[in-house]
Amino acid sequence: MSAQRIKAGINLYAILKNLEDLVAYDNEARTLVQDRKICIQFTVKNGPKAWVRFENGRCTVERGKARKSQVHLWFSSCEHLNKMFDGKANPVPLKGFTQLGFLKNEFTKLTERLEYFLRPENVPLPDNHYIRMNTMFTLTIAAFALPEIALYDERAKYTASHLPDGTLQMSVLPDGPHVYLTIKGGKITAGKGKADHPDAMMLMKNPQVANDFLNGKSDPFTAIALGDVMIKGQIPILDGINLILDRVIHYVS
Amino acid sequence: MKTYSYKKSKALFQKAAEIIPCGIYGHFSPAPLIPVSDYPFYVSKAQDAHFWDVDGNEFIDYMCAYGPIILGYNNPVVESAAEMQREKVNCATAPGEVMVQLAQELVDTVTIADWAFFAKNGNDATTFALMVARAKTGRKKIIRLKGGYHGVQPWTQSPDHPGITFEDAENMLIGEWNNYEVLEDFVKKNPDQIAGIIATPYHHPTFEDNVLPAEGYWKKVEQLCHKEGIVLIVDDVRTGFRIDVRGSNEYFGFKPDLVAFCKAIGNGYPISALVGTNEMKEAASKVFYTGSYWFSAVPMAAALATIQELKENEVPAMLAEKGRELTSGLQKIAEDHGFHLKVTGHPAMPYLRLTDDPSLMLHQEWCGECTKRGAYFTSHHNWFISAALTEEDIQKTFEIADDAFKAVKNNRK
Repeated sequence: MSAQRIKAGINLYAILKNLEDLVAYDNEARTLVQDRKICIQFTVKNGPKAWVRFENGRCTVERGKARKSQVHLWFSSCEHLNKMFDGKANPVPLKGFTQLGFLKNEFTKLTERLEYFLRPENVPLPDNHYIRMNTMFTLTIAAFALPEIALYDERAKYTASHLPDGTLQMSVLPDGPHVYLTIKGGKITAGKGKADHPDAMMLMKNPQVANDFLNGKSDPFTAIALGDVMIKGQIPILDGINLILDRVIHYVS
Repeated sequence: MKTYSYKKSKALFQKAAEIIPCGIYGHFSPAPLIPVSDYPFYVSKAQDAHFWDVDGNEFIDYMCAYGPIILGYNNPVVESAAEMQREKVNCATAPGEVMVQLAQELVDTVTIADWAFFAKNGNDATTFALMVARAKTGRKKIIRLKGGYHGVQPWTQSPDHPGITFEDAENMLIGEWNNYEVLEDFVKKNPDQIAGIIATPYHHPTFEDNVLPAEGYWKKVEQLCHKEGIVLIVDDVRTGFRIDVRGSNEYFGFKPDLVAFCKAIGNGYPISALVGTNEMKEAASKVFYTGSYWFSAVPMAAALATIQELKENEVPAMLAEKGRELTSGLQKIAEDHGFHLKVTGHPAMPYLRLTDDPSLMLHQEWCGECTKRGAYFTSHHNWFISAALTEEDIQKTFEIADDAFKAVKNNRK
């Protein structure tokens, strides 16, 4: 499977997923969609599908086809979708021409706000809010990109097929965010929040440690030995997930 | 009970992390020692069954350097033999006389051995064994078993690991411990292509209960190998001389063609060996295989003395007895605290696990609590018993284990 397919899955299922928390925790973002009730369907020909719904000041992003959408954006290929995410192409609107204003204004501003939080290199003096949002998004991207990479990347597919079943909790201390990964029969699914009964835990000491660790800027063995990243439980799960995490940076820029 | 702190260890590691990849790498990496804050990272001295870390904390050592120490640290007989050899020669332009003496000792001791070949690490010996099997049979494929550890060469590793390619694993077939049918199936599907089967004498993976061979398993494997012209290789690197000085295969009742040894044969001196039957000798002589320090005489002298000591003092039986006393005592203490401690593997190198929490978190916590009280327990790996472990050490370990269980219960209130 091509890298474009993996990137498309990550864009739709991991990057876009952050809109939920962006609207939930960032006042500026929430104001943009506070009174909107709209569902946008993203469809890639022979590729992934996802929908984004804004309602009552909340945002929900899910895989697949929405029951009802007001806007339907179509992409001729994974490459087409990825170019749009890079700001180099436009989608083909199949439905919702009357909502184009929302797409061009509020939705664009929302994605720009998301990009702002994902690019710490452009923010010389990040405040606590920025650090919190950036950490949350980094963790979400890592967790939700993993299943995509495990499905289509050759090495990650091999790793996933040998992973023991179980749930891995990944948390940033002291107060979160938290995500978890569930492995069953080599298939990985991601979720936000704390797992009920994790079989393994990876606790990152603070947002900076989490950022470095998840972006491949620190060596896991050293980070663990230094106590920056604390692990416990079924370590074979962590070992395998770590191998797949290593692949994330190949697809997420 | 007083618990340890590791200020110097941690400071040293901080420095190491700047100039050494991983700070401490490989199987000595502190990463699987959970929680890492309960473990020392650097040793300052060792004696008998004890070591001291750089902070001055003393530990009863149940890892024995991950296997090499069998008679205890600084065993006087071994050290004296090594010292005498060092005074004469160690690394020189030709091997020392001791090389022949050590080969003879192995041939006389290990039942299947008609010859012996020396190297440095277990991985040197296991990799040489594969090359000999290929040279002997003219075939490419090797069967190894899932969870079996044979070193760190690309062929031993999973192909999804950094630095390894899928091509490195191209000729490897991965079977399962105690599953004879899978082996038979591989042989059927790869006629005249399998050069060798390599496995440990019993299954001792990390993070899992260890498993002894099922009744008749090894005999069937041996017969299959003979019938199909496949070389049977035993990786006795971890188990060798701890279970039976004649080779662990003798303990389990079968005859391989090649046996790889390391760890215990030198009691801490760097040496490994591959021994084999006469049928394998010509193939072994055709493979060009060597290393800068493989002919060093001091480790050979140490190994010669070690093997003689092991035989003279019937050490494997002693280790099994000590292991049984230790583990049954620990099980009783666990039970008194309402926990269930499962013991698997051979008593000379037992694997322990508190089954009350399948995630291993409880077991990791208890091992950490024991370690910071002075009994060095790992939670991910089988332990090793040394001949230097005294009754006093065992009783002290029981006291530590008891206090650690109290702490674990307290932590969970």
